[in-house]
Amino acid sequence: MSQMNTKYAISNRPVLKLLVTLVVLLAIPATFAATPGITGGSKTPVFNLTAQDAYLNQPDGQGVYSWGYGCNGSPSAFLPAAIANATCPTMQVPGPTLIVTEGDMVTVNLTNNLPAAAGNTSILFPGFQVMAAAASVQPANCTANFATAASQTPQGLLVVEAAPGCTVSYTFTASTPGTHAYYSGTQGDLQIEMGLYGALIILPANPPAACDSTNTNLYGQQDWATANHIPGAPEKDFRLAHAAYDHAKTCYDREYLFQWAEMDPNIHKAAVAQVTAKSGCTPGAPGCSLNIATEPYHPAYFVINGRSMPDLMDPNYAAEYPHQPYNGNPHMHPGERTLIRTIGQGRWQHPFHEHANHVRILARDGNLILTPDAQALAGILMFDTDTTPGDAFDGIFYFTARGLNWDAYGHHAPAPGTTPGTGASDPYGDTLATLPCIPDANGYNTGNPAALNYYEWCQDHNKPVQKAPFGDVEAGGPATLPDPNIFTNGAWYGGTPYFGPDATLRAGNPNCASTTNANCTLLQPSNIQANPANERGWAFMWHSHNEREITTNNVFPGGMLMMMLVDSREFVIDESN
Amino acid sequence: MKKLSQVCCSVFLCIATTVVCAQSFRVQCPSNTITHPDPNNAGVNNSEPTYSGPTNFSAGSNGYLVPSGNVNGAIKCQQVSGGDGYATMADGTQTFMFSFGPLSGLADIAAGLPGTQFPNIFNTLYASYNPHTPLQPGDPATTDGATDYGSGGTYQVGSSAFTWNGAVGEVPDVPYVATIYDISESGNTVTVVLNTQVPFSVGDQVIISGTGTAYDSPAGQAFTVTAVGVNNTFFASNFAFQYYNSKTGLAEINEPGNATAASLPVVDGHVDPRQIMDVGVMNGNIPAPLVAFDEDDELFLTLTNVGMLMRPDLFEQHTIHFHGYPNASSFYDGVPDASVAINIGGSFTYYYLAPDAGTYFWHCHITPPEHLQMGMVGQLYVRPRQNRLPSGTSLYTGLSWQQGDLRTACNPNTDILCSTTLPAAGDNGAVQGKDKLNSPQKYVYNDGDGSTAYDVEYPLQIHGFDPNFHFVGMTFNPEAFVDMKDKYFLLNGRSYPDTVTPGPQATQSSDGRMHYSQPMPSIINIPYQGKAALRIADLSVSEYTTLASLGIPMKVVGWNAKLLRDQEGNNTEYYTNSITLGGGESLDVILDASDASCGFAGCAAQLYPAGSVFYLYTPNLDHLSNDAENFGGLMTEVHICNSVTSSTYGNQCN
Repeated sequence: MSQMNTKYAISNRPVLKLLVTLVVLLAIPATFAATPGITGGSKTPVFNLTAQDAYLNQPDGQGVYSWGYGCNGSPSAFLPAAIANATCPTMQVPGPTLIVTEGDMVTVNLTNNLPAAAGNTSILFPGFQVMAAAASVQPANCTANFATAASQTPQGLLVVEAAPGCTVSYTFTASTPGTHAYYSGTQGDLQIEMGLYGALIILPANPPAACDSTNTNLYGQQDWATANHIPGAPEKDFRLAHAAYDHAKTCYDREYLFQWAEMDPNIHKAAVAQVTAKSGCTPGAPGCSLNIATEPYHPAYFVINGRSMPDLMDPNYAAEYPHQPYNGNPHMHPGERTLIRTIGQGRWQHPFHEHANHVRILARDGNLILTPDAQALAGILMFDTDTTPGDAFDGIFYFTARGLNWDAYGHHAPAPGTTPGTGASDPYGDTLATLPCIPDANGYNTGNPAALNYYEWCQDHNKPVQKAPFGDVEAGGPATLPDPNIFTNGAWYGGTPYFGPDATLRAGNPNCASTTNANCTLLQPSNIQANPANERGWAFMWHSHNEREITTNNVFPGGMLMMMLVDSREFVIDESN
Repeated sequence: MKKLSQVCCSVFLCIATTVVCAQSFRVQCPSNTITHPDPNNAGVNNSEPTYSGPTNFSAGSNGYLVPSGNVNGAIKCQQVSGGDGYATMADGTQTFMFSFGPLSGLADIAAGLPGTQFPNIFNTLYASYNPHTPLQPGDPATTDGATDYGSGGTYQVGSSAFTWNGAVGEVPDVPYVATIYDISESGNTVTVVLNTQVPFSVGDQVIISGTGTAYDSPAGQAFTVTAVGVNNTFFASNFAFQYYNSKTGLAEINEPGNATAASLPVVDGHVDPRQIMDVGVMNGNIPAPLVAFDEDDELFLTLTNVGMLMRPDLFEQHTIHFHGYPNASSFYDGVPDASVAINIGGSFTYYYLAPDAGTYFWHCHITPPEHLQMGMVGQLYVRPRQNRLPSGTSLYTGLSWQQGDLRTACNPNTDILCSTTLPAAGDNGAVQGKDKLNSPQKYVYNDGDGSTAYDVEYPLQIHGFDPNFHFVGMTFNPEAFVDMKDKYFLLNGRSYPDTVTPGPQATQSSDGRMHYSQPMPSIINIPYQGKAALRIADLSVSEYTTLASLGIPMKVVGWNAKLLRDQEGNNTEYYTNSITLGGGESLDVILDASDASCGFAGCAAQLYPAGSVFYLYTPNLDHLSNDAENFGGLMTEVHICNSVTSSTYGNQCN
């Protein structure tokens, strides 16, 4: 018992990390997210889950005693298949993301392997007609303590539960596509707080053909990659489906799942203390139970997908977090429609602020929000998408730099008398500086899916931002850029007001080194790892705007915070870790 | 004067270091840009033109599009300080803040108005730049004669003697001064050889002085450069220039070193840091200075970090995050992790082309849980171009025009993130007219159907202060975030009953001066049968808050700076009597008192007669308190007036 207490106080990760959060921050490699999860077979998927305890790692060095759902044996398969090192441990927070297809008859067998004193547990699948029954075969340690089916899988307040050691089986039809929550239906104030929650993703049975046929290359990223610009490294498709719903307005190019929750360490400390004290008690016997105060509530850990920043941005399935496999590290190219799957899993609401653009709410709890004739979207636009306990929503986001009033790619017109697109047109031989931008009906450069500046906003093409020349980028704009000597810059700063490695290069060193130009004002980025020289994306913070929640146990930065990067197409977004 | 416009600092530093123009404080407010040209220097960007069609573009000679017709919008500028200050809570407690304060538009800010100015106002020098009448520490409160709490327990605002709205610190600048090595004349042509490369261009005006001879420029006159790059016997040609002199026959002089050729002084954003520090230190406001501008405007928003007097141990940077700016650049997004942060002693000008109309807000993004709780939160909104339609123009036609410029168009079939779709019902006949103040009708959004029309508008910021956190913030770190608990619940930086006290609220600061700490009351004066737009933003750091309206229904027309309208053009606005917001959220409510009936058949009284008083308050009942006082908090009054004068914030109820 002392071992468990000791583990809480002295975790398996160095406490020193508390002091070096920023250093760790700087060391973050480029890793990505997608929406990893498990499948249970076709048409009649089966998921064998277990509820167990383990410790969650937090960036202050603490291991927080928690309960979570995990895999009872290997799952049928992992999705997306391209993500490396996929695992489904016996306990994880959030629980395994269950991926099924609309119309499937889903079976979830849950075995209660929580400490005996924790009592019964269960799963609710809100929004579905669930049939529950005792599993036909019960584990031996179940039948040893509970003789009858009624005591093995008793009817709880909300749902049939599994007594300690026993297995309950839930079956339902996955009737509505979209993102859904699942969580404990037993003493939720304690069990959900302890980590018993997860996500159920139902893919549409009939994704619109328009999404299938055009969306794979809708924004041309693969065309760009296969046009021999990046030989051998085409951009992979990490989508679970091509549409979020059976509706042509719900096509998407990337997807990320964010589950928001918070943890009060006092509750977790009390749980481990009482579970330890009652270790070995007889399940179901008087006194073999917990008495933990869940109020007053003072959460100190504010987690997305079970992790706090900066751990949140480490890879999926990272070995450092054996019970927190899912990350939050969104990336996208300009114009790509990104599906944001969000679930409020804790007991508080959190205003999820997406820097860079608005989010169109597609659906809530799997219910697509449409106009009266069902032809168009009617969900509202938000720059702070509230995450509400028990509520799941799907939203669509994209970024294009439209309307900034300067050329975000740092293009400039070919010099007089030279040929566009040739080295001779640019004093530095940079053909990428003189790419054309031909607006489509909406003003974007979409005519050539293989173009590097695909989806550039053409109205600002070649338009300068800086009054004076900025490296090789032309002068004449409205603004005077800052003096690098009196500014501080951050780990994700790209170094210029421009976007993509070639643009920042043009505004940067090669030209400044060889010119007497007085205005070669490059603000060197302070690091080369979080947004390295071959990336130089535009980074935006996605975080809780109840700002005290971007802390970890009183330390800023931490908590519900991640950086989203919009990357130039030169940078392949590889979400396979 | 092309060169002058490129100058960003004093001549000495620029010439000495040709790589980087070192700078400390400065402002930027050009009178013309690519987007808003002024070829005849007629001051066209000093007022907002009517919107009579989409902007036309044509290919410019530099390879990018330039406006060629219907140039819409203008240029706006504002300067704010980042530093610290004190505010007075409704129970009389002085509370320390990290805060933004006004460094331009001081008179307007003191009147509860936006401090955002056209270039000609922003670039107006204080007292016509008379060094003997400097701004006073504490201004505008000092000049107004504001004093601490008077006998009745209310603070004394003083007069409104202070009327200046220019940029604090801005002074004329001599962009280039160079010492003369040799000066000679041949006929009417004077050749000047400098000790450095010639910084002037042909056509520039130069003043020659210190030659001790007749070469010196006559008082108040300058010579015009006729040539640069002149071969001479001393140095390279780019060290020499020529000008025309009506005086002839002057002998050559090899100068001893105190003769100079200098540019004419110009107002180009150069500032005198003494004035910045005199006014900027401890001038914190809550809310931070109000920013408001119009669609199609360019905004130059300068943040000047003056440091924190009460926390000399901190070296805090500050930034401006324009919260909700659609398709924002990372560069001007104000997130220090992804951009630059402004150190003490520096200025940075954020540049924005106005985004779609709506209610946004702004705040510092350095250590947000700390800097936001400590008070660095301000309101910001963008007015729709529909306001600028010529009188009598169909609103539907006006919105149709906007489809003619891809930047202002909303095509729901391809753009999933736009909301100003043409109304599904078509043209409902609404035309641009007058509001109840007899001013051009105003709208929250480009609705095309008049559904967001209002008569008076009131920005309302919901915020909370935790006095324990502020005490720790004034004294020592570290602060605790887990147990943060707000005890003062603020509407525009004040709690009831201060919310209904007219005029700016002043607080004595550590320099013994009164400062206008909380300029904005929250009195909602609505003309009889009128409509008030409430631009509500919640900047609370710790919790969700509900604001309810007693009596007058709330019509919610916008959410997070977007019109509530689906992608087929059906309005999804709704009526309610309460709204709930988390930190970082905004919405637009119209308090609709237009119903002149009595609510049920046969009654005699009216629902919203002139002279009646209603309330906005929070049903989070524990928030109706001011720390230990079990009275006050997040509440204010709504007055129905026979009429209101002026269409501005803090208007008069008659």
